[in-house]
Amino acid sequence: MADLLSTGISGLLASQVGLSTVGHNISNVNTAGYTRQTTTFNARSPQFNGGFYVGQGADAVSVQRAYSQFLTQTVWSANSGQSRALQYAGLTAATNNAVSGSANLQSALDGFFGAVSDVANAPVDTAGRQALIGKANTLVSTFRSLSSQFQQIDSQTNQEISNSVDKINSLARSIADLNGEIQRASVGGAVPNDLLDARDQAISQLSQIVGVNVSQGSGNMVTVSVGNGQPLVNGTDATKLATAFNQYDSSRLEVVGPSGSVISGQLGSGSLGATFDFRTNVLDPARNQLGRAAVAMTDAFNKQHAQGIDLNGDAGGKFFDIADPAVLNSSTNKGNAAVSAKVTDVGKLGASDYIMRFDGTKWNVTTTAGVVVPSTGTGAAGDPILIDGLAITVPSGTPQTGDSFQIQPTRNAASTISVAVSDTSKIAASGPLAATKAAGNTGKATLGNLKITDTADPDFNKPVNIVFTSPTTYTVDGGPPQTYADGDTITGNGWTLKLSGVPAANDTFTVKPAGSASGDNGNALALADVANKGVLDNGITTVGKSYSQLIAQVGTAGAQANTALDAQQSILNQAMASQQSLSGVNMDEEASNLLRFQQAYAASAQVINAANTIFDSLMSAVRG
Amino acid sequence: MRISTSWGQQQAVNTMLDRQYQLSQTQLALGNGKAIQSPSDNPAAAARAVDTTSASAQNDQYTRNIQSATTRLSNEEQALSSAGDILDRIRSITLEGMNGTQTDESRQSIATELRQTLKQLVALANAKDGQGEYLFAGSRTTTQPFTIDGMTVTYGGDQTQRMVAAAAGLQVATGDSGSDVFMAIRGGNGTFVTSAGATNTGSAVVGATSVTDASAWDGGNYTITFTSPTAYEIRDAANPTAPPVSTGTYTGETGTINFKGVQLNITGKPALGDTFAVGPSSSQDVFSSIAGIISAFEAPGGGAPMNNKVNAQLLNLDQAATSFLNTRTKIGARMNTLDQQTEIGADVKLQYQSTLSNLTELDYASAASTFSQQSAALNAAQQAFVKMQNLTLFNYLK
Repeated sequence: MADLLSTGISGLLASQVGLSTVGHNISNVNTAGYTRQTTTFNARSPQFNGGFYVGQGADAVSVQRAYSQFLTQTVWSANSGQSRALQYAGLTAATNNAVSGSANLQSALDGFFGAVSDVANAPVDTAGRQALIGKANTLVSTFRSLSSQFQQIDSQTNQEISNSVDKINSLARSIADLNGEIQRASVGGAVPNDLLDARDQAISQLSQIVGVNVSQGSGNMVTVSVGNGQPLVNGTDATKLATAFNQYDSSRLEVVGPSGSVISGQLGSGSLGATFDFRTNVLDPARNQLGRAAVAMTDAFNKQHAQGIDLNGDAGGKFFDIADPAVLNSSTNKGNAAVSAKVTDVGKLGASDYIMRFDGTKWNVTTTAGVVVPSTGTGAAGDPILIDGLAITVPSGTPQTGDSFQIQPTRNAASTISVAVSDTSKIAASGPLAATKAAGNTGKATLGNLKITDTADPDFNKPVNIVFTSPTTYTVDGGPPQTYADGDTITGNGWTLKLSGVPAANDTFTVKPAGSASGDNGNALALADVANKGVLDNGITTVGKSYSQLIAQVGTAGAQANTALDAQQSILNQAMASQQSLSGVNMDEEASNLLRFQQAYAASAQVINAANTIFDSLMSAVRG
Repeated sequence: MRISTSWGQQQAVNTMLDRQYQLSQTQLALGNGKAIQSPSDNPAAAARAVDTTSASAQNDQYTRNIQSATTRLSNEEQALSSAGDILDRIRSITLEGMNGTQTDESRQSIATELRQTLKQLVALANAKDGQGEYLFAGSRTTTQPFTIDGMTVTYGGDQTQRMVAAAAGLQVATGDSGSDVFMAIRGGNGTFVTSAGATNTGSAVVGATSVTDASAWDGGNYTITFTSPTAYEIRDAANPTAPPVSTGTYTGETGTINFKGVQLNITGKPALGDTFAVGPSSSQDVFSSIAGIISAFEAPGGGAPMNNKVNAQLLNLDQAATSFLNTRTKIGARMNTLDQQTEIGADVKLQYQSTLSNLTELDYASAASTFSQQSAALNAAQQAFVKMQNLTLFNYLK
């Protein structure tokens, strides 16, 4: 009879464990990372009772997590992917906002070229010239404002990187600590379910920042490595990652491993990897493209401006100023060589950045992505290294083997552009030369187009007489006789003059400098036409077009990021659904379990009661 | 399949959040009327919109250029029209002065009037455009191009022509230099000029001249010498000892002299030894022609010497009038071009606007319908969520 009591108590105790587990499950219904627990019961060993076995009741033998390593790892990996896409989309959206905001470069360009046209319509009007300088300043400040928005996004990425590295280090520490606790708690085969959940949750948080690779070690401990195999947690040891300035560019951070080697490129998925990818694939190309537009604008406009003369009769000076390409020396350089770069041909200018490295005898150039760029020249002043529209020289110092430099042709160019002209009279609206037909000419030849071909010609400003010795023969400035036919173009010192009609002998035409206060608008017309002139990509792309290319480039990156985010989100949702389907708490299920264990508990109590009643009956029988 | 209660709730909340976000995006679009809120919404259209806006802005600028050019050309046309009127007036005064009934004195007073008219013409030649720049100064638009000293007018401008950009690749001249309009005017009949010998004593006067065969005219200098009142010979002025180029009989009042493809009408009675020179036209400014008439009127005596001089200058004046007219024709042609370009510009503007509207403007009808669909979806999600919340077994455990 004592057996029945102990059997009833075993049911009572087993049900209590079951009820506790159900209560624990219900309490943790909203705990992030919690894994549903279930109690397992075993029937006690039966008692042999002469020919048969009598059951002895039940034992709660374990409380287990409803856990699948595979499903959890799938969630981690989906987490990394989604977090990467989210971060990428967020940063790309910021870039999109920058180009679709108030700083509209295209309308600034339109306004500027409109003002140039207005000057062409009234070349000596001071108000129009003043308006042009005003619009030029608007254009320049639009370039700068866009550039500074990009720079802000760049420093935001620095912030993200340093925050992420801090979080990685603190999570690594927690995981290592939890490893220790779990090892200590795992004595005798017991599994500390809730500590395992806490560790999984920490790993899950880590997987949002950086892709993780988790393997099981001894004593229920895990080994975690991130990215492409960088070990992070091994047992109770956590490796510390750190940030360091880029070897070349001290304005940006990189992630370095414990040995000091840069591992920024090996972080793979997760929000940190996305930050680096965004920087390399969206931000830098966008900044370079914007800078390229600024360089092209400056170059094309200045070149045309120099072709004209201002109201003082002087050749046009620089209209815009812009800094030369940035050359950044590596922090590891041992030699003292200094490198400088200039843009020689805007048409060939690309959107890449370059690394040039000294191999002991010569300089080798690659893009930052590592593609070898064929180059000529030694870098001496007379023999510059020529790549993609750039001329690079090493004007001073001696390099050591392995020394390297980064060249950013246009990265920050848009923030350095400025208007060089402040005096309205210095706007070179007039063509530099004027052609005249002598008053005494008896022939019918009339002046046609006077075209400037080379203002650098040493005799460019020399007045030149074209004298016809017969209707078909002429001399230029007393030179050898040349043959003329109606409509021919006559070549002078850096200019050509078209004549039409038949001249008579002794007819004279003169080409001479236009002089000061000229109301000619030849150069202003040419300046206004710079808007339509292909300057980039070997003379195909206009400055305005290069801006709409930037819009398309940034917009496409944004659209791709959004699509990727949608895809990653649904992958994560599926992974979560599968994992939660196994491990999540279902309240209805718990309610039914609650009832089950309640009933079992009550029934076990009844068993005890029955034992008691039996015992009482026996007693009263004995008392008689 | 098991459902995790909290994940199920989270999913339902996520769905509502998604629908709310979509609804707010549609609401934003309905609010500002833009189809593209950010380039990432439609990168290709965003880039094309930028290009189209720019092309449209440039088109507008061309229209402004054309307006400015049209004003300038109208000013020029106005000045030349007035200048033509002045030439007509000079011509009629001159013809009046050539009348045989005039005396030295009356011719003097006509000359005085002509001097006045000359100044008027110079003033017109110094006309300015709306921006205060001289119209007929070439590129020297800030300096008065024509200065008069006595009867000598000098041109200080140059021969540069100002252009305007009327469309991409289309430049139209917005003026003509004073040199072309007033100064470099071909003298005589445009091909050759005649002048009477200074010592002529007869009454012969050169009237109308013309070119009968342009290919036969060689542009040389020739002298017609009357060997008798009824006979003449023509010699090459550069080689007077060579045999005469042509000889002929002068048939009197209505006779013509033809040689080397040119024809001269000479009226009156030449005297023995009277000469007339024939030479190629060279440029002469309109002011000198008027000054020549004034000098001829101011010189005492009148008669054939005066008539010969004035006739020659009247031919020059005709050339000047033609030059004015030609210039005005050119101006008309340019204004036509500009007008056409304005119309093209207006059409193009409409096209740009419609392209831009297709690219960037919201289709309200479809956005409104999307909005109602999305709000219905959100509503359904919310209702489903509330219904789901009531479905728990715990509700029945009482």
